[in-house]
Amino acid sequence: MAGKPRGSAPLDAAGLHRLMAWLSPSYPVGAFSYSSGIEWAVEAGDIKDVATLTRWIATVFGHGAGFCDAVFFVHAHRATQQGDAAALRELCHLAAAFVPSKERHLETMAQGRAFLDTTSKAWPCAALDLLGGEPAAYPVVVAVACAGHGMPLAPSLQGILHAVAANMISAGVRLVPLGQTDGQRALAAMEPLIVAVSDRAIASTLDDLGSATFRADIASMRHETQYTRLFRS
Amino acid sequence: MPVGFLPLTEKTSAASETSSGKIFAANRATGRIALTVNAVDGVSRRGRVHEHGSLRVRFPNGPILEAVTVNSAGGVTGGDRFDFDISVGEGASLTMTTAAAEKVYRSLGPDTDISLTLAIGAGGTMRWLPQETILFDQARLSRRVEADIAAGGRLLLTEAVVFGRSAMGETVTQGKLVDRWRIRREGRLVFAETLRLDGAMSDQLAEPAIAGGGVALATVLMVPGEEAAVAAVRDLEDKFAGEVGISAWNGIAVARLCATDGARLRHDLMLVLSAVDGHALPRLWLN
Repeated sequence: MAGKPRGSAPLDAAGLHRLMAWLSPSYPVGAFSYSSGIEWAVEAGDIKDVATLTRWIATVFGHGAGFCDAVFFVHAHRATQQGDAAALRELCHLAAAFVPSKERHLETMAQGRAFLDTTSKAWPCAALDLLGGEPAAYPVVVAVACAGHGMPLAPSLQGILHAVAANMISAGVRLVPLGQTDGQRALAAMEPLIVAVSDRAIASTLDDLGSATFRADIASMRHETQYTRLFRS
Repeated sequence: MPVGFLPLTEKTSAASETSSGKIFAANRATGRIALTVNAVDGVSRRGRVHEHGSLRVRFPNGPILEAVTVNSAGGVTGGDRFDFDISVGEGASLTMTTAAAEKVYRSLGPDTDISLTLAIGAGGTMRWLPQETILFDQARLSRRVEADIAAGGRLLLTEAVVFGRSAMGETVTQGKLVDRWRIRREGRLVFAETLRLDGAMSDQLAEPAIAGGGVALATVLMVPGEEAAVAAVRDLEDKFAGEVGISAWNGIAVARLCATDGARLRHDLMLVLSAVDGHALPRLWLN
Protein backbone atom coordinates (compact mmCIF):
# COMPACT_ATOMS: atom_id res chain seq x y z
CA MET A 1 0.00 0.00 0.00
CA ALA A 2 1.51 3.29 -1.09
CA GLY A 3 1.09 6.68 0.52
CA LYS A 4 -0.28 7.49 3.92
CA PRO A 5 -1.35 4.81 6.38
CA ARG A 6 -4.99 3.85 6.49
CA GLY A 7 -7.30 6.07 8.49
CA SER A 8 -5.15 9.14 8.03
CA ALA A 9 -7.88 11.39 6.62
CA PRO A 10 -7.73 14.82 8.24
CA LEU A 11 -9.92 15.81 11.14
CA ASP A 12 -12.41 18.57 10.29
CA ALA A 13 -13.08 21.55 12.55
CA ALA A 14 -16.04 19.96 14.33
CA GLY A 15 -14.06 16.75 14.85
CA LEU A 16 -11.14 18.70 16.33
CA HIS A 17 -13.52 20.50 18.68
CA ARG A 18 -14.95 17.21 19.94
CA LEU A 19 -11.61 15.46 20.23
CA MET A 20 -10.16 18.32 22.28
CA ALA A 21 -13.21 18.31 24.54
CA TRP A 22 -13.34 14.55 25.09
CA LEU A 23 -9.63 14.15 25.72
CA SER A 24 -9.21 17.26 27.80
CA PRO A 25 -8.20 16.73 31.46
CA SER A 26 -11.46 18.53 32.32
CA TYR A 27 -13.67 15.89 30.66
CA PRO A 28 -15.35 14.26 33.66
CA VAL A 29 -13.84 10.77 33.55
CA GLY A 30 -11.64 11.35 36.58
CA ALA A 31 -8.42 10.79 34.61
CA PHE A 32 -6.47 12.90 37.11
CA SER A 33 -7.12 10.32 39.84
CA TYR A 34 -5.29 7.45 38.07
CA SER A 35 -1.52 7.00 37.84
CA SER A 36 -1.27 3.52 36.23
CA GLY A 37 1.08 2.41 38.99
CA ILE A 38 3.40 5.41 38.64
CA GLU A 39 2.67 6.30 42.25
CA TRP A 40 4.27 3.04 43.38
CA ALA A 41 7.15 3.35 40.88
CA VAL A 42 7.97 6.76 42.41
CA GLU A 43 7.67 5.34 45.96
CA ALA A 44 9.99 2.45 45.02
CA GLY A 45 12.55 4.78 43.43
CA ASP A 46 12.14 3.48 39.88
CA ILE A 47 10.93 6.92 38.80
CA LYS A 48 12.91 9.77 40.33
CA ASP A 49 13.43 12.41 37.62
CA VAL A 50 12.28 13.42 34.17
CA ALA A 51 14.56 10.88 32.44
CA THR A 52 13.31 7.88 34.42
CA LEU A 53 9.69 9.05 34.11
CA THR A 54 9.98 9.40 30.33
CA ARG A 55 11.68 6.03 29.99
CA TRP A 56 9.02 4.26 32.08
CA ILE A 57 6.12 5.76 30.15
CA ALA A 58 7.84 5.15 26.80
CA THR A 59 8.15 1.47 27.69
CA VAL A 60 4.48 1.28 28.66
CA PHE A 61 3.62 2.71 25.24
CA GLY A 62 6.12 0.66 23.25
CA HIS A 63 5.72 -2.66 25.07
CA GLY A 64 2.69 -2.47 27.32
CA ALA A 65 -0.80 -1.17 27.95
CA GLY A 66 -0.28 1.92 25.77
CA PHE A 67 0.19 -0.21 22.65
CA CYS A 68 -2.58 -2.67 23.59
CA ASP A 69 -5.05 0.15 24.21
CA ALA A 70 -4.12 1.58 20.80
CA VAL A 71 -4.92 -1.77 19.16
CA PHE A 72 -8.27 -1.95 20.98
CA PHE A 73 -9.01 1.60 19.83
CA VAL A 74 -8.24 0.75 16.18
CA HIS A 75 -10.46 -2.34 16.17
CA ALA A 76 -13.33 -0.64 18.02
CA HIS A 77 -13.19 2.27 15.59
CA ARG A 78 -13.37 -0.09 12.60
CA ALA A 79 -16.15 -2.25 14.08
CA THR A 80 -18.18 0.90 14.75
CA GLN A 81 -17.67 2.20 11.21
CA GLN A 82 -18.89 -1.15 9.95
CA GLY A 83 -21.83 -1.17 12.38
CA ASP A 84 -20.61 -4.57 13.58
CA ALA A 85 -22.18 -4.88 17.04
CA ALA A 86 -21.06 -8.51 17.45
CA ALA A 87 -17.39 -7.66 16.80
CA LEU A 88 -17.71 -4.73 19.17
CA ARG A 89 -19.14 -6.93 21.92
CA GLU A 90 -16.26 -9.41 21.51
CA LEU A 91 -13.84 -6.52 21.70
CA CYS A 92 -15.49 -5.23 24.88
CA HIS A 93 -14.97 -8.65 26.48
CA LEU A 94 -11.36 -8.90 25.33
CA ALA A 95 -10.37 -5.38 26.40
CA ALA A 96 -12.06 -5.76 29.79
CA ALA A 97 -10.21 -9.05 30.39
CA PHE A 98 -6.90 -7.72 29.08
CA VAL A 99 -5.72 -6.06 32.28
CA PRO A 100 -3.06 -7.27 34.72
CA SER A 101 -4.45 -6.01 38.03
CA LYS A 102 -7.46 -4.80 40.00
CA GLU A 103 -6.53 -1.13 39.76
CA ARG A 104 -5.72 -1.22 36.04
CA HIS A 105 -9.15 -2.82 35.62
CA LEU A 106 -10.78 -0.08 37.68
CA GLU A 107 -8.87 2.60 35.78
CA THR A 108 -9.95 1.56 32.31
CA MET A 109 -13.49 0.39 33.15
CA ALA A 110 -14.47 3.33 35.39
CA GLN A 111 -13.18 5.83 32.84
CA GLY A 112 -14.98 3.96 30.07
CA ARG A 113 -18.24 4.11 32.00
CA ALA A 114 -17.83 7.81 32.84
CA PHE A 115 -16.93 8.67 29.25
CA LEU A 116 -20.00 6.85 27.98
CA ASP A 117 -22.29 8.56 30.51
CA THR A 118 -21.13 12.07 29.68
CA THR A 119 -20.80 11.60 25.92
CA SER A 120 -24.25 9.99 25.63
CA LYS A 121 -25.70 13.14 27.17
CA ALA A 122 -23.56 15.92 25.71
CA TRP A 123 -22.68 14.39 22.29
CA PRO A 124 -25.26 11.62 21.72
CA CYS A 125 -24.82 9.41 18.68
CA ALA A 126 -26.39 6.14 17.53
CA ALA A 127 -23.03 4.36 17.54
CA LEU A 128 -22.85 4.47 21.34
CA ASP A 129 -25.93 2.22 21.38
CA LEU A 130 -23.93 -0.43 19.53
CA LEU A 131 -22.24 -1.13 22.87
CA GLY A 132 -25.60 -2.42 24.08
CA GLY A 133 -24.89 -1.53 27.70
CA GLU A 134 -21.82 -3.80 27.71
CA PRO A 135 -19.21 -2.55 30.19
CA ALA A 136 -16.42 -1.26 27.99
CA ALA A 137 -12.83 -0.22 28.54
CA TYR A 138 -11.93 3.44 28.07
CA PRO A 139 -10.16 3.17 24.65
CA VAL A 140 -13.06 1.13 23.28
CA VAL A 141 -15.71 3.68 24.29
CA VAL A 142 -13.67 6.63 23.02
CA ALA A 143 -13.14 4.84 19.69
CA VAL A 144 -16.88 4.16 19.33
CA ALA A 145 -17.68 7.83 19.97
CA CYS A 146 -15.00 9.01 17.51
CA ALA A 147 -16.15 6.65 14.76
CA GLY A 148 -19.80 7.40 15.53
CA HIS A 149 -19.15 11.09 14.98
CA GLY A 150 -17.30 10.43 11.72
CA MET A 151 -13.89 11.31 13.09
CA PRO A 152 -11.13 9.51 11.19
CA LEU A 153 -9.04 6.83 12.87
CA ALA A 154 -5.45 8.10 12.87
CA PRO A 155 -5.93 11.59 14.34
CA SER A 156 -8.42 10.23 16.89
CA LEU A 157 -5.96 7.54 17.94
CA GLN A 158 -3.08 10.01 18.20
CA GLY A 159 -5.37 12.16 20.32
CA ILE A 160 -6.13 9.48 22.88
CA LEU A 161 -2.51 8.33 23.03
CA HIS A 162 -1.45 11.91 23.68
CA ALA A 163 -4.08 12.27 26.40
CA VAL A 164 -3.09 9.04 28.16
CA ALA A 165 0.62 9.89 27.99
CA ALA A 166 -0.02 13.44 29.23
CA ASN A 167 -2.07 12.06 32.12
CA MET A 168 0.71 9.68 33.17
CA ILE A 169 3.27 12.48 32.91
CA SER A 170 1.04 14.74 34.98
CA ALA A 171 0.90 12.07 37.68
CA GLY A 172 4.70 11.84 37.61
CA VAL A 173 5.08 15.63 37.79
CA ARG A 174 2.92 15.74 40.92
CA LEU A 175 4.51 12.70 42.57
CA VAL A 176 8.28 13.03 41.99
CA PRO A 177 7.72 16.11 42.02
CA LEU A 178 8.95 17.73 38.82
CA GLY A 179 8.68 21.23 37.39
CA GLN A 180 6.00 21.93 34.79
CA THR A 181 8.66 22.50 32.11
CA ASP A 182 10.14 19.06 32.76
CA GLY A 183 6.65 17.63 32.33
CA GLN A 184 6.39 19.26 28.93
CA ARG A 185 9.89 18.02 28.03
CA ALA A 186 8.68 14.50 28.76
CA LEU A 187 5.61 15.02 26.59
CA ALA A 188 7.74 16.43 23.76
CA ALA A 189 10.00 13.39 24.01
CA MET A 190 6.97 11.11 23.64
CA GLU A 191 5.93 12.65 20.32
CA PRO A 192 7.78 10.37 17.86
CA LEU A 193 6.91 7.31 19.92
CA ILE A 194 3.21 8.12 19.93
CA VAL A 195 3.26 8.49 16.14
CA ALA A 196 5.10 5.17 15.84
CA VAL A 197 2.75 3.35 18.24
CA SER A 198 -0.24 4.74 16.38
CA ASP A 199 1.11 3.54 13.00
CA ARG A 200 1.95 0.13 14.44
CA ALA A 201 -1.46 -0.27 16.05
CA ILE A 202 -3.26 0.64 12.81
CA ALA A 203 -1.39 -2.18 11.08
CA SER A 204 -1.99 -4.70 13.89
CA THR A 205 -4.49 -7.53 14.21
CA LEU A 206 -5.80 -8.59 17.61
CA ASP A 207 -3.31 -11.45 17.41
CA ASP A 208 -0.53 -8.87 17.46
CA LEU A 209 -1.54 -7.63 20.92
CA GLY A 210 1.22 -8.00 23.43
CA SER A 211 2.73 -6.61 26.56
CA ALA A 212 5.92 -7.25 28.48
CA THR A 213 5.77 -4.67 31.26
CA PHE A 214 6.06 -7.04 34.22
CA ARG A 215 7.48 -4.47 36.60
CA ALA A 216 4.84 -1.89 35.65
CA ASP A 217 2.23 -4.58 36.39
CA ILE A 218 3.89 -5.36 39.73
CA ALA A 219 3.93 -1.62 40.51
CA SER A 220 0.19 -1.45 39.87
CA MET A 221 -0.38 -4.48 42.12
CA ARG A 222 1.79 -3.15 44.92
CA HIS A 223 0.08 0.22 44.75
CA GLU A 224 -3.00 -1.48 46.22
CA THR A 225 -1.32 -1.60 49.62
CA GLN A 226 0.76 1.57 49.37
CA TYR A 227 0.53 3.34 52.71
CA THR A 228 0.02 6.92 51.56
CA ARG A 229 -1.65 7.36 48.21
CA LEU A 230 -3.02 10.25 46.19
CA PHE A 231 -4.17 8.14 43.24
CA ARG A 232 -6.69 5.36 42.69
CA SER A 233 -4.22 3.36 40.59
CA MET B 1 26.34 -33.62 1.26
CA PRO B 2 28.71 -31.16 2.91
CA VAL B 3 27.46 -27.79 1.74
CA GLY B 4 30.93 -26.27 1.99
CA PHE B 5 32.10 -28.26 -1.04
CA LEU B 6 29.44 -26.87 -3.36
CA PRO B 7 30.32 -24.00 -5.64
CA LEU B 8 28.48 -21.02 -4.27
CA THR B 9 26.51 -20.09 -7.34
CA GLU B 10 23.05 -18.67 -6.93
CA LYS B 11 21.46 -21.77 -8.45
CA THR B 12 23.09 -24.36 -6.22
CA SER B 13 22.62 -22.37 -3.04
CA ALA B 14 18.90 -22.00 -3.85
CA ALA B 15 18.65 -25.73 -4.53
CA SER B 16 20.42 -26.62 -1.31
CA GLU B 17 18.16 -24.27 0.64
CA THR B 18 15.10 -26.08 -0.70
CA SER B 19 16.44 -29.50 0.12
CA SER B 20 17.76 -28.44 3.51
CA GLY B 21 14.35 -26.88 4.16
CA LYS B 22 12.75 -30.27 3.57
CA ILE B 23 15.30 -32.05 5.72
CA PHE B 24 14.74 -29.42 8.40
CA ALA B 25 10.96 -29.90 8.31
CA ALA B 26 11.32 -33.68 8.43
CA ASN B 27 13.50 -33.43 11.52
CA ARG B 28 11.19 -31.18 13.51
CA ALA B 29 9.61 -32.78 16.53
CA THR B 30 5.90 -32.95 17.13
CA GLY B 31 4.15 -34.16 20.19
CA ARG B 32 0.68 -34.33 21.57
CA ILE B 33 -0.85 -35.38 24.84
CA ALA B 34 -4.60 -35.70 25.16
CA LEU B 35 -5.74 -36.67 28.61
CA THR B 36 -9.05 -36.93 30.39
CA VAL B 37 -9.50 -37.31 34.11
CA ASN B 38 -12.77 -38.29 35.76
CA ALA B 39 -13.99 -38.59 39.32
CA VAL B 40 -15.06 -42.16 40.04
CA ASP B 41 -16.67 -42.65 43.47
CA GLY B 42 -15.01 -39.46 44.59
CA VAL B 43 -11.56 -40.52 43.42
CA SER B 44 -9.89 -38.87 40.43
CA ARG B 45 -8.82 -41.41 37.82
CA ARG B 46 -7.31 -41.05 34.41
CA GLY B 47 -9.61 -41.87 31.53
CA ARG B 48 -8.38 -41.56 27.96
CA VAL B 49 -4.63 -41.10 27.62
CA HIS B 50 -3.30 -40.34 24.18
CA GLU B 51 0.41 -39.83 23.53
CA HIS B 52 1.89 -38.94 20.22
CA GLY B 53 5.39 -38.12 19.00
CA SER B 54 8.01 -37.22 21.54
CA LEU B 55 5.60 -36.42 24.38
CA ARG B 56 4.84 -38.94 27.11
CA VAL B 57 2.87 -38.68 30.29
CA ARG B 58 3.53 -40.56 33.52
CA PHE B 59 1.40 -40.88 36.64
CA PRO B 60 3.53 -41.24 39.78
CA ASN B 61 1.75 -42.91 42.69
CA GLY B 62 0.71 -40.53 45.39
CA PRO B 63 -2.12 -39.20 47.49
CA ILE B 64 -3.50 -37.02 44.67
CA LEU B 65 -3.55 -37.62 40.94
CA GLU B 66 -0.47 -36.12 39.35
CA ALA B 67 0.54 -36.29 35.71
CA VAL B 68 4.11 -35.63 34.64
CA THR B 69 4.91 -34.91 31.04
CA VAL B 70 8.20 -36.00 29.55
CA ASN B 71 9.59 -34.71 26.28
CA SER B 72 11.81 -37.48 24.93
CA ALA B 73 13.19 -35.06 22.31
CA GLY B 74 15.18 -33.46 25.15
CA GLY B 75 14.31 -29.84 24.42
CA VAL B 76 12.54 -28.01 21.65
CA THR B 77 13.59 -25.82 18.78
CA GLY B 78 12.21 -23.84 15.86
CA GLY B 79 9.53 -25.67 13.89
CA ASP B 80 8.65 -28.05 16.72
CA ARG B 81 5.00 -28.29 17.62
CA PHE B 82 3.55 -29.58 20.88
CA ASP B 83 -0.09 -29.80 21.91
CA PHE B 84 -1.61 -30.54 25.27
CA ASP B 85 -5.32 -31.19 25.44
CA ILE B 86 -6.42 -31.83 29.00
CA SER B 87 -9.94 -32.36 30.26
CA VAL B 88 -10.81 -32.61 33.94
CA GLY B 89 -14.32 -33.94 34.52
CA GLU B 90 -16.94 -32.90 37.01
CA GLY B 91 -15.57 -32.97 40.53
CA ALA B 92 -12.24 -34.46 39.41
CA SER B 93 -8.82 -33.11 40.23
CA LEU B 94 -5.48 -33.19 38.43
CA THR B 95 -2.07 -31.66 38.97
CA MET B 96 0.26 -31.56 35.99
CA THR B 97 3.91 -30.75 35.79
CA THR B 98 6.94 -31.50 33.64
CA ALA B 99 9.72 -33.94 34.46
CA ALA B 100 12.30 -31.24 33.85
CA ALA B 101 12.69 -27.62 32.84
CA GLU B 102 11.89 -27.39 29.13
CA LYS B 103 14.74 -25.95 27.08
CA VAL B 104 13.94 -23.95 23.98
CA TYR B 105 17.00 -23.84 21.76
CA ARG B 106 18.07 -21.38 19.10
CA SER B 107 15.81 -21.36 16.06
CA LEU B 108 17.01 -20.95 12.49
CA GLY B 109 13.80 -19.07 11.70
CA PRO B 110 10.49 -20.72 12.52
CA ASP B 111 8.78 -20.53 15.90
CA THR B 112 8.34 -23.37 18.32
CA ASP B 113 4.57 -23.70 18.74
CA ILE B 114 3.11 -24.98 21.98
CA SER B 115 -0.60 -25.09 22.61
CA LEU B 116 -2.39 -25.91 25.81
CA THR B 117 -6.13 -26.49 25.91
CA LEU B 118 -7.74 -27.05 29.30
CA ALA B 119 -11.35 -27.96 29.96
CA ILE B 120 -12.37 -28.04 33.61
CA GLY B 121 -15.79 -29.47 34.47
CA ALA B 122 -18.14 -28.32 37.21
CA GLY B 123 -16.38 -28.51 40.56
CA GLY B 124 -13.21 -29.84 38.90
CA THR B 125 -9.71 -28.71 39.83
CA MET B 126 -6.77 -28.35 37.48
CA ARG B 127 -3.29 -27.33 38.50
CA TRP B 128 -0.97 -26.72 35.55
CA LEU B 129 2.43 -26.22 37.12
CA PRO B 130 5.22 -27.00 34.67
CA GLN B 131 8.80 -26.44 35.69
CA GLU B 132 10.35 -23.37 34.16
CA THR B 133 10.94 -22.91 30.47
CA ILE B 134 14.54 -21.96 29.68
CA LEU B 135 15.01 -19.87 26.57
CA PHE B 136 18.35 -19.96 24.80
CA ASP B 137 19.69 -17.10 22.69
CA GLN B 138 17.68 -16.74 19.46
CA ALA B 139 14.97 -19.10 20.65
CA ARG B 140 11.52 -18.37 19.21
CA LEU B 141 8.62 -19.63 21.28
CA SER B 142 4.95 -19.06 20.54
CA ARG B 143 2.53 -20.49 23.09
CA ARG B 144 -1.24 -20.44 23.37
CA VAL B 145 -3.21 -21.30 26.48
CA GLU B 146 -6.98 -21.67 26.25
CA ALA B 147 -8.89 -22.68 29.35
CA ASP B 148 -12.61 -23.20 29.81
CA ILE B 149 -13.76 -23.51 33.39
CA ALA B 150 -17.28 -24.66 34.26
CA ALA B 151 -19.23 -23.45 37.30
CA GLY B 152 -17.37 -24.15 40.52
CA GLY B 153 -14.27 -25.29 38.63
CA ARG B 154 -10.84 -24.28 39.86
CA LEU B 155 -7.68 -23.51 37.96
CA LEU B 156 -4.18 -22.79 39.19
CA LEU B 157 -1.98 -22.01 36.20
CA THR B 158 1.62 -20.93 36.11
CA GLU B 159 4.29 -20.41 33.50
CA ALA B 160 7.83 -19.46 34.43
CA VAL B 161 10.43 -18.38 31.89
CA VAL B 162 14.15 -18.02 32.40
CA PHE B 163 16.07 -16.11 29.75
CA GLY B 164 19.36 -17.98 29.57
CA ARG B 165 21.02 -19.87 32.39
CA SER B 166 22.86 -16.97 34.00
CA ALA B 167 24.82 -19.30 36.30
CA MET B 168 26.35 -20.77 33.14
CA GLY B 169 27.14 -17.36 31.70
CA GLU B 170 24.40 -17.56 29.10
CA THR B 171 22.45 -14.51 28.01
CA VAL B 172 19.61 -14.11 25.57
CA THR B 173 20.29 -11.10 23.39
CA GLN B 174 17.80 -11.85 20.62
CA GLY B 175 14.72 -13.99 20.42
CA LYS B 176 10.98 -14.14 20.57
CA LEU B 177 8.52 -15.12 23.25
CA VAL B 178 4.79 -14.78 22.70
CA ASP B 179 2.49 -16.35 25.27
CA ARG B 180 -1.25 -15.88 24.73
CA TRP B 181 -3.62 -16.75 27.57
CA ARG B 182 -7.37 -16.73 27.14
CA ILE B 183 -9.28 -17.94 30.20
CA ARG B 184 -13.05 -18.41 30.21
CA ARG B 185 -15.24 -19.09 33.19
CA GLU B 186 -18.75 -20.35 32.44
CA GLY B 187 -18.22 -19.15 28.89
CA ARG B 188 -17.20 -15.63 29.86
CA LEU B 189 -13.69 -14.35 29.16
CA VAL B 190 -12.28 -13.48 32.58
CA PHE B 191 -8.60 -13.07 31.81
CA ALA B 192 -6.70 -12.43 28.62
CA GLU B 193 -3.13 -11.46 28.09
CA THR B 194 -0.34 -11.82 25.63
CA LEU B 195 3.20 -11.66 26.89
CA ARG B 196 5.33 -10.49 24.00
CA LEU B 197 9.08 -10.00 23.89
CA ASP B 198 10.38 -9.90 20.36
CA GLY B 199 13.72 -8.89 18.93
CA ALA B 200 16.33 -7.35 21.21
CA MET B 201 15.40 -9.47 24.22
CA SER B 202 18.12 -8.38 26.67
CA ASP B 203 17.58 -4.69 25.85
CA GLN B 204 13.85 -5.08 26.48
CA LEU B 205 14.38 -7.00 29.72
CA ALA B 206 16.72 -4.23 30.90
CA GLU B 207 13.90 -1.66 30.78
CA PRO B 208 12.84 -0.76 34.34
CA ALA B 209 9.14 -1.13 33.42
CA ILE B 210 9.75 -4.62 31.94
CA ALA B 211 12.19 -6.59 34.10
CA GLY B 212 14.73 -3.98 35.24
CA GLY B 213 17.54 -6.32 34.19
CA GLY B 214 15.84 -9.39 35.64
CA VAL B 215 16.06 -12.53 33.52
CA ALA B 216 13.40 -14.72 35.10
CA LEU B 217 9.65 -14.06 34.95
CA ALA B 218 6.58 -15.95 36.05
CA THR B 219 2.85 -15.44 36.12
CA VAL B 220 0.44 -17.33 38.35
CA LEU B 221 -3.29 -17.27 37.65
CA MET B 222 -5.89 -18.43 40.16
CA VAL B 223 -9.55 -19.00 39.35
CA PRO B 224 -11.33 -18.39 41.61
CA GLY B 225 -8.98 -15.77 43.04
CA GLU B 226 -9.59 -15.25 46.71
CA GLU B 227 -8.58 -12.29 48.85
CA ALA B 228 -7.25 -14.78 51.41
CA ALA B 229 -4.75 -16.07 48.84
CA VAL B 230 -3.73 -12.51 48.03
CA ALA B 231 -3.22 -11.73 51.70
CA ALA B 232 -1.22 -14.95 52.21
CA VAL B 233 1.17 -13.98 49.41
CA ARG B 234 1.51 -10.39 50.62
CA ASP B 235 2.42 -11.69 54.07
CA LEU B 236 5.50 -13.33 52.54
CA GLU B 237 6.95 -10.06 51.30
CA ASP B 238 10.08 -10.23 53.46
CA LYS B 239 10.88 -13.77 52.31
CA PHE B 240 10.94 -13.18 48.56
CA ALA B 241 14.30 -13.16 46.76
CA GLY B 242 12.90 -11.21 43.82
CA GLU B 243 9.90 -9.01 43.19
CA VAL B 244 6.36 -10.30 43.54
CA GLY B 245 3.01 -8.60 43.03
CA ILE B 246 -0.45 -10.09 43.40
CA SER B 247 -3.91 -8.75 42.75
CA ALA B 248 -7.48 -10.08 42.74
CA TRP B 249 -10.44 -8.70 40.82
CA ASN B 250 -13.56 -10.03 39.12
CA GLY B 251 -13.21 -13.40 40.79
CA ILE B 252 -9.66 -14.11 39.61
CA ALA B 253 -6.21 -13.46 41.03
CA VAL B 254 -2.93 -12.94 39.24
CA ALA B 255 0.61 -12.89 40.60
CA ARG B 256 3.63 -11.61 38.71
CA LEU B 257 7.17 -12.58 39.64
CA CYS B 258 10.40 -11.04 38.42
CA ALA B 259 13.84 -12.20 39.55
CA THR B 260 17.50 -11.84 38.67
CA ASP B 261 17.97 -15.56 38.03
CA GLY B 262 16.13 -18.85 37.73
CA ALA B 263 16.96 -20.07 41.24
CA ARG B 264 15.48 -16.97 42.87
CA LEU B 265 12.41 -17.20 40.66
CA ARG B 266 11.85 -20.83 41.62
CA HIS B 267 12.29 -20.00 45.29
CA ASP B 268 9.65 -17.26 45.07
CA LEU B 269 7.31 -19.31 42.89
CA MET B 270 7.36 -22.19 45.39
CA LEU B 271 6.50 -19.75 48.18
CA VAL B 272 3.62 -18.28 46.18
CA LEU B 273 2.19 -21.64 45.13
CA SER B 274 2.42 -23.05 48.66
CA ALA B 275 0.71 -19.95 50.06
CA VAL B 276 -2.23 -19.99 47.66
CA ASP B 277 -2.86 -23.74 47.59
CA GLY B 278 -1.53 -26.18 50.19
CA HIS B 279 -1.74 -29.05 47.70
CA ALA B 280 -0.17 -27.17 44.84
CA LEU B 281 3.46 -28.16 44.71
CA PRO B 282 4.13 -31.27 42.67
CA ARG B 283 6.66 -33.51 44.38
CA LEU B 284 9.02 -33.15 41.43
CA TRP B 285 9.43 -29.48 42.28
CA LEU B 286 10.80 -30.44 45.67
CA ASN B 287 13.61 -32.64 44.36
